[in-house]
Amino acid sequence: MIVQMIWQSAAVVLGGLLLGLVYKGLDRKLAARMQGRIGPPLRQPFLDVRKLMVKENVVPRDAVPWLFHAAPILALVAAATVLLYLPLGGLAPVLTGRGDLILVLYLLAVPAVAMALGGFAAGTPFSAVGAQREIVMMMSYEFPLAVVVVGIVWRTATLGHSPAFSLAVVSGTPLWSLVGPLGVLGLALLLLCLLVVTPAELSKIPFDIPEAETEIAGGLLVEYSGVNLALFYLADALKTVAMGALVVALFIPYGLAGVFGLEGLVAGIVDVAFFLVKVFAVVFASVTVVRVAMARLKVDQVARGFWIPITTAALAGLVLLILDKAVVG
Amino acid sequence: MILKVLMAQLFSRPVTNRFPAKYMPRSVTGFLAKVGQGKAKLVPPVPVPKGFRGKLAYDRETCIGCQLCIRVCPASVIMFKPETKKIRIHVARCTFCGQCVDVCPVDALAMTEEFLLAAYDRFDPSLIVE
Amino acid sequence: MEETRTTFEIPVGPVHPALKENIRFTFRVEGERILGVDVKPGFVHRGIEYMGMRRNLIQVLYLSERICGICSISHPIVLVQAVEQAAGIEVPPRAQYIRVIVSELERLHSHLLWAGVAAHELGFDTLLHLSWKVREAVMDILEELTGNRVDYAIPIYGGVRRDISPEQMPKVSEMIRYYRGLFEELSDTFLRDPSVEARTRNVGVLEPEEAHELLAVGPTARASGLRKDVRQDWPYLVYGDMDVRALTPEDHGLEVRGDVFDKIVVRLLEVAQSLDLIERCMEEMPDGEITSFPKLPALLAHLKKAEGEGIGRHEAPRGEVIHYVRLEAGQEGPSVWKVKAPTYSNLMPWVPMFEDQEIADIPIIAASIDPCMCCMDRVHVVRSGRPEEWTKQELLRRSWEKTRRLCG
Ligand code: SF4
Ligand code: SF4
Repeated sequence: MIVQMIWQSAAVVLGGLLLGLVYKGLDRKLAARMQGRIGPPLRQPFLDVRKLMVKENVVPRDAVPWLFHAAPILALVAAATVLLYLPLGGLAPVLTGRGDLILVLYLLAVPAVAMALGGFAAGTPFSAVGAQREIVMMMSYEFPLAVVVVGIVWRTATLGHSPAFSLAVVSGTPLWSLVGPLGVLGLALLLLCLLVVTPAELSKIPFDIPEAETEIAGGLLVEYSGVNLALFYLADALKTVAMGALVVALFIPYGLAGVFGLEGLVAGIVDVAFFLVKVFAVVFASVTVVRVAMARLKVDQVARGFWIPITTAALAGLVLLILDKAVVG
Repeated sequence: MILKVLMAQLFSRPVTNRFPAKYMPRSVTGFLAKVGQGKAKLVPPVPVPKGFRGKLAYDRETCIGCQLCIRVCPASVIMFKPETKKIRIHVARCTFCGQCVDVCPVDALAMTEEFLLAAYDRFDPSLIVE
Repeated sequence: MEETRTTFEIPVGPVHPALKENIRFTFRVEGERILGVDVKPGFVHRGIEYMGMRRNLIQVLYLSERICGICSISHPIVLVQAVEQAAGIEVPPRAQYIRVIVSELERLHSHLLWAGVAAHELGFDTLLHLSWKVREAVMDILEELTGNRVDYAIPIYGGVRRDISPEQMPKVSEMIRYYRGLFEELSDTFLRDPSVEARTRNVGVLEPEEAHELLAVGPTARASGLRKDVRQDWPYLVYGDMDVRALTPEDHGLEVRGDVFDKIVVRLLEVAQSLDLIERCMEEMPDGEITSFPKLPALLAHLKKAEGEGIGRHEAPRGEVIHYVRLEAGQEGPSVWKVKAPTYSNLMPWVPMFEDQEIADIPIIAASIDPCMCCMDRVHVVRSGRPEEWTKQELLRRSWEKTRRLCG
């Protein structure tokens, strides 16, 4: 049982890494095409990682070495663990349990914390500024994210499904068709908020403030090189998949196999493929398109933006769901 | 509005000219050799207009050795060879201003359309005109 | 501004992604807020004037072209003006028109280049690629007219080196039409984009009084509402006949605020203005000679005899550029050559612009004056291998000394 679980976990993490790098490649390619460029070949992220893996790990003189080295590992491990809790298409998550959704929320925050720690540990001005910005960013987007999750979970629970805060349950209950018109509106609002939170969670333009290449030269990553940088890069790839999968699990958990009445292995393959497409669609819409269509914002603008409009929208979505419950029952 | 531009560009050909190939070949010289053997295709550079100022062409027979070109050249590109009373041009240093062409009384100098002049050695035969 | 424990210094430069050339800023910041800045230039001094004083004037011309890779027509144009003044050389009208056409083409490409760089500083790379894509049209025309995309080698003492042929005219007109058609789209993407506005409105404000006192030039001054333009104030070449007006954001129906947004507005307006100027020059250009010295040896001989001093000034894309030249009979090169590039005047305005802004604003404020460091770096004092700093008093004393020496 344990052995099987280890194998499964390894497979999921490796698959996630592979997928994350492919999504990164697609993201870069499509962004380039939208900008009228050719862009790098699809396998560029793989080449980047391979190159980084053989490069020297430079530790700045004023750094706290153990923390500096621990941060990338922590980020990668946390990002990998998130993946184990997420339902990947037709496949049930490797790890499940009561309240795993809350765990996922926490685990998603860990890579960001790790990066901030790494930034502080590097002990140089640019990395410190980047780390401060990362913290402010987290304080801004975590609350709306939590509201979205709570909204979904609560509505699912009111439909009589338990245990609450279990991802398997939530993703097994496609809410869109089970709620009334008010609920649909509320869900749409929550989805919108989650799509706005996604690029922030992944530190992509307009929210790439902690890294901000032209401002602070890569910010909290500025001192990282070689293997450490590669680990952060991989963690980012995993996080991309995780965020995409989370959006899919919460909002678009539909499968195709049921629609076509497929069974067995075919059904599994079709569902996994469909899942990959869904994740890609989410990543494309909320990361790739957004990052080529906007300028980078400033950290106070982002904080204000998340605290007022986005949080309000998320709360409004929650209220709508509550009203919906009162109407539909 | 920007979204319109983005979507239009997503579905059209990139603006970049793919010279010499879509992606940088692992070895440029190897790639060029392959092109020579007809095994690979070179994407041509953007064509240059008439009157482009490229690598100098020198007509040794016409040159009268007046050294005016040496006098005006801003980059000390041109050397005088007293034995033959002719000149040698080190293209590696040339700034392609065309002043020598303008000054030459007998039109022994001209500018060609050749501009791919990279070489590993500044004394490479391809970079010396005489 | 009181110092607290949370105040710390961050260095930007001499090498930093926000800087396209080397300069050193030391910012005193508190959290994200900038309390003050110290600017230190001098990293890319190349000793061009010194080299020029050891060459003959024709060689100096091409040296001046390489003072700046973007103003590669502005510097030669000013130099030839200064030398023509010193040596008493007349310039045929057609040559004057051609000089104006090429300088306005340069303004066009320079402003488009800046738009791209500014967008990149904001992290908006799509606009960078967009503006550089459309910039290719003017680069192609420059290559068509001059034979090279970057170094045009067009002016020569007494005229220009290449004529614009009747076959080339339609190509230029087509380019003008292309940009006019694009203008709406460009101003739409730059001026009506919410994220660009969020990053540039009320950022890096230069008050009109500050601009005036600190002698800002070019679009930097005009964006603060100063109607200041060499082409308008001291017309040269044929600019006097062209009724050039210095443009400010008011001409776009906006209230002047002197921020980065206004600087985008001014540059966009100037793109349109340059298009008009080019069109008008092409229509009004008379036939005739393009140089008063068709034979170069005659020119060299004339320059060798010449004695006197001259000043040339020109409104380059970044502002006023001035060259001072002194010629002495019997000497082939200038005995004195002094260059003042626009960025030199725009350095001091940086200080009030940075004040009380955020770290995130550094790149765009630095870029907003369209700085060109190596054109501007005119001195760098090195003594026994170490750079040395001079105070204002010391510099004043030395320049007085030099003036006295020059006046003999
Ligand atoms: S083109 Fe200019 S730099 Fe080149 S050899 Fe002629 S004069 Fe010298
Ligand atoms: S100017 Fe012409 S003729 Fe005179 S040396 Fe040069 S190439 Fe020969």
